[in-house]
Amino acid sequence: MVFWILIAVMTAAAALSVLVPLSKARRSAGTPSGSADEAVYRDQLGAIEAELERGLIEPEAAGAARTEIARRLLSAHENHAQEAGGITRGPRLKIAQGLALFVLPAAAVGIYLLFGAPDMPDAPLAARLQAPAEEQSVDILVARVERHLADNPEDGQGWVVIAPVYMSLGRPQDSARAYAQAIRLLGPRQDWLTDMGEAMTIASQGLVTAEARQAFEQAAAMDASAVKPRFFLALALGQEGRKAEAIAAWRNLLAGAEGTEAWVGAARNELAELAGPDGQSDQVGQTPAPRGPSQEDVAASRDMSTGDRQAMIRAMVSGLAERLADEGGSAAEWKQLMQAYIVLGERQSAENALKDAQAAYADKPEDLSSIKDAATQLGLTGS
Amino acid sequence: MTRKQRRLTLIGTAGVVLATAFGLIMFALYDELVFFQSPTDIARNTLPSGQRIRLGGLVEDGSVVRSDNAEVSFRVTDMENTVSVTYKGILPDLFREGQGVVTEGIVRPDGVFVADSVLAKHDENYIPKEVAEALKKQGHWQGDKTTAN
Amino acid sequence: MIVEFGHYALVLAFALSLVQSVVPLWGALAGDDRLMAVAPPVSVTMFVMVLVSFAVLTSAYLTADFSVLNVLENSHSAKPLLYKFTGVWGNHEGSMLLWVLILVFFGALVGLFGGNLPKDLRATTLAVQGWISAGFILFLLATSNPFARVINPPLEGADLNPILQDIGLAIHPPLLYVGYVGFSITFSFAVAALILGRTDAAWARWVRPWTLLAWCFLTLGIAMGSYWAYYELGWGGWWFWDPVENASLMPWLAGTALLHSAIVMERREALKIWTILLAIFTFSLSLLGTFLVRSGVLTSVHAFATDPTRGVFILVLLCLFIGGSLSLYAWRAPALRQGGLFAPISREGALVLNNLFLTSACAAVFVGTLYPLFLDAVTGEKISVGAPFFNLTFGPLMVPLLIAVPFGPVLSWKRGDLLAASQRLYAAFGLAILMTIFTFWLWGMEKVLAPLGVGLAVWVMAGAVSEILTRVKIFEIGPSRAFSRLIGLPGSAWGSMLAHFGIGLTVLGVVTASAFQDERIATMRPGDTVELSGYQLTFDGAAPRRGPNFTEEVGHFTIRQGGIFVTELDPSKRIYTARQMPTTEAAIFTTGFSQLYLSLGESRGDGAVDVRVYFKPLITLIWIGCVIMALGGAVSIADRRLRVGAPKPARKRNAGAAAPAE
Repeated sequence: MVFWILIAVMTAAAALSVLVPLSKARRSAGTPSGSADEAVYRDQLGAIEAELERGLIEPEAAGAARTEIARRLLSAHENHAQEAGGITRGPRLKIAQGLALFVLPAAAVGIYLLFGAPDMPDAPLAARLQAPAEEQSVDILVARVERHLADNPEDGQGWVVIAPVYMSLGRPQDSARAYAQAIRLLGPRQDWLTDMGEAMTIASQGLVTAEARQAFEQAAAMDASAVKPRFFLALALGQEGRKAEAIAAWRNLLAGAEGTEAWVGAARNELAELAGPDGQSDQVGQTPAPRGPSQEDVAASRDMSTGDRQAMIRAMVSGLAERLADEGGSAAEWKQLMQAYIVLGERQSAENALKDAQAAYADKPEDLSSIKDAATQLGLTGS
Repeated sequence: MTRKQRRLTLIGTAGVVLATAFGLIMFALYDELVFFQSPTDIARNTLPSGQRIRLGGLVEDGSVVRSDNAEVSFRVTDMENTVSVTYKGILPDLFREGQGVVTEGIVRPDGVFVADSVLAKHDENYIPKEVAEALKKQGHWQGDKTTAN
Repeated sequence: MIVEFGHYALVLAFALSLVQSVVPLWGALAGDDRLMAVAPPVSVTMFVMVLVSFAVLTSAYLTADFSVLNVLENSHSAKPLLYKFTGVWGNHEGSMLLWVLILVFFGALVGLFGGNLPKDLRATTLAVQGWISAGFILFLLATSNPFARVINPPLEGADLNPILQDIGLAIHPPLLYVGYVGFSITFSFAVAALILGRTDAAWARWVRPWTLLAWCFLTLGIAMGSYWAYYELGWGGWWFWDPVENASLMPWLAGTALLHSAIVMERREALKIWTILLAIFTFSLSLLGTFLVRSGVLTSVHAFATDPTRGVFILVLLCLFIGGSLSLYAWRAPALRQGGLFAPISREGALVLNNLFLTSACAAVFVGTLYPLFLDAVTGEKISVGAPFFNLTFGPLMVPLLIAVPFGPVLSWKRGDLLAASQRLYAAFGLAILMTIFTFWLWGMEKVLAPLGVGLAVWVMAGAVSEILTRVKIFEIGPSRAFSRLIGLPGSAWGSMLAHFGIGLTVLGVVTASAFQDERIATMRPGDTVELSGYQLTFDGAAPRRGPNFTEEVGHFTIRQGGIFVTELDPSKRIYTARQMPTTEAAIFTTGFSQLYLSLGESRGDGAVDVRVYFKPLITLIWIGCVIMALGGAVSIADRRLRVGAPKPARKRNAGAAAPAE
């Protein structure tokens, strides 16, 4: 409401700046053109006299200038003698007033409504950051804490607060960084170390990196009864291909469980995969992976000797390649094929696969660019 | 001097100056134009050696080699053909592999382009318009990619 | 709410500009005083409205209100306060708003201080100013609205292009715009004179100071832009004949011509029609400068195509204003009365010569800038016109002009005596010859043109000084009385002397800095030393550093001369974090008028960096000369009297040839 009142006041001021001069009875503003010229020349004559007195121009030059001006003065006088100024009443004034009273406000408000957003409040950053917490989105809260931490990077508690928030926002890398800061400032704690390792693991798509493993090991050393670090350590063993140790670790972990914990199912799955079909658990819930070497096949290949493994992969790859060449396949399968060739050290075949894939997806730009991205990551040039 | 002579003198002087200016402009246009070429243009037609041209395209990935004394060589490509370029000097801030570039210089008889200036504009999204159009012709232009930020 | 308030103020200014376009002009044509009286107050109200909207946009920047799209795209909360402020015009929309603000400011000045103008002239002038305002405010609202809003804005903006985060570039656009837009006043006056079908004495009186004002700012703006390019881009060049630079040079050349023809019109009532045409050209080139550059037509046809509405709008506006005013000129100019006569050898004649060369040079720049666009549009062939073209055309046209410069002020009005004028310039000529020989002796014969260029520059400077000295008759009446005459000299005489001296200085700087510069490009490791023009530069190593919104790698160099420590220089390579954009920060050491210029290239990883070093003798004179030119303009503006150029009374010995008719 205040907004519209202000707008009305402003519009009225604008209209008045037109209406007031229109309605003034006396019309003194400005000079008629004839007398303006004459005034200019009279000014000049005065200036010449002043300069002559100060000795700035020679008397003869002054004389010449004076005659020049006099000549102009005369012609100006003649030119404008017949000129008549004045006012005429009638429709002109009414139309001008009408313009100011109706057209001006209507045009202004109309155009404003076309382009403007009258209901939209201002949103200066400081005010947005200071608004009460319950009215704010998580983004703003996070930004507030980030700002605070940018100014006070030594505030360990701040890092502790923000680390799990990052995790829930799907920013595991930031979360790991925040935990690292907290640990650096406040000293190591079992749960922080574990959560940091978890964040790192998630950040690297489920792979327990060496860094993450270190964190888990440190956490496990601090509290041997903690389950979570041991869970991830078992996972790490499996990923490293230390099958026997991994199976032992999972068994050990499951032995201490009551069977209702959330992680038990996942642990059993892992164990089952490691132990093979004779394991103690069922194998439901496998998502259909791209046809090609399955997870199990790859896992199984880890047990073979290097030569056998190569042969097996080669067999599977050539199967995949044949099928893709004959029937075509998904972009994911093409990527898998390229990756497989790289693993086998057959760069040229990978390049060929890339070319075929590009040809197959030439008319699907989205898939094509994802294939290209994958190729770039593998170091393929496509030429 | 009569009124007519004065006028003629003025018009004559004006004519001379304007004719000189016109002549200079035409001569300079004939002589000093620099044509924009893509690597494919260079591969296709044989230019008189020593002809100054502007070469535009993308800096090929992995092609930048720096040697001492601030000398640098790289390859410019339009995805069809590629031209080797040598340049001595400091590259502009926005010179990057895989990015658009315009260089000016001459083609040596051995096919190497000797650049005496390398241009990159003030905007990180900027692809020189000639480069953009040359690439478009080759079908490698992805306009969205350069504007998305 | 404040943002929307500013938006409404801009819309209201548009509505007022419509009133301004119609009512006063109608009054002037119908001879109705009341309608004419509307113009001055409306011009002031319009200015207030645009000022309000500009202030609102500025406050949105200062408070980081990212709900305004323009702020979101061009600001960042971590940006230093100064650049939040200058960032307002660091983008298309904001700079257009500044342009309009200056436009209505000039309109308000005419409204407030135009009391001594004939009322119909003032009303018509303000109406023409109203057309321009209406056109460009509509352009802002419809295609480049700075008040466009964003729903649910993000918490951080995209930051100002780091290359613009520099104090030099922050004040460069306002200076340039005051120059461009200042010419709108002369344009409006010229169009008003055409509409009314007459040129008043007061018209002649107004043209020169307004042109001068605009010209001073344009001169400073160009100089500032050139210096910015010199130290910020890290290439050591100060002029690239880039379309963007040419766009500002063209109105400057036309404006300089206008300035000189306005003198003839003011003093002698001659060249009126030509002056009107020049006024139209100058502002048209200003429009071309601002809008073709802003719309991206000159730098990239592609950018033009991505926003067709904006480009088409600009094209329509340009056609309307330029085409309209030129048609009006063709229609009405023959009806105007021609002014005084003059002999070819006279001060008027010299000024005509000046106009010829300046407009020809302007045409050369115009062709060089627009021909590639034209060719591309017509044949699709891509060419570029670079420095060689301009050196070949612009240079030869400037040389005769510079040779003629000292003659102008010493010739008499109406009919001059070339021989007598030459006698007054003997000293200047001698000095120029001496300096040419001295330069040959200093640098040897391998560069023939450079010493001649030095001689030319000295000729222009010495000519300017000797003009003043002969004017006060220092050789006839002795120094003490001459001094009092010197003080009493009119400002316009001082102004032209300073401006001519300044152009000489600039030419001197251009010649020496381009002909005698010394350059080294080297890859240096810590401890390495390069030798250049008697200086030894030792690279001590590089270290990272962190700024408010950037990180940088700073190289440390120690400069010695003959083994004696002179100074330390720290050039750097910066990366602005928000946009991940690198910039080069050159380090410059000024000694006398010369500069040592150091910029870093790529790091080589093993501590080695590419380094480019220049020694540029007398380069600062280029910009000092420009500042002195602008100062001359300012001094000349201060001389408010309208001066009459009366011819010298004929001397006895040629009394028979031409009788003093007036």
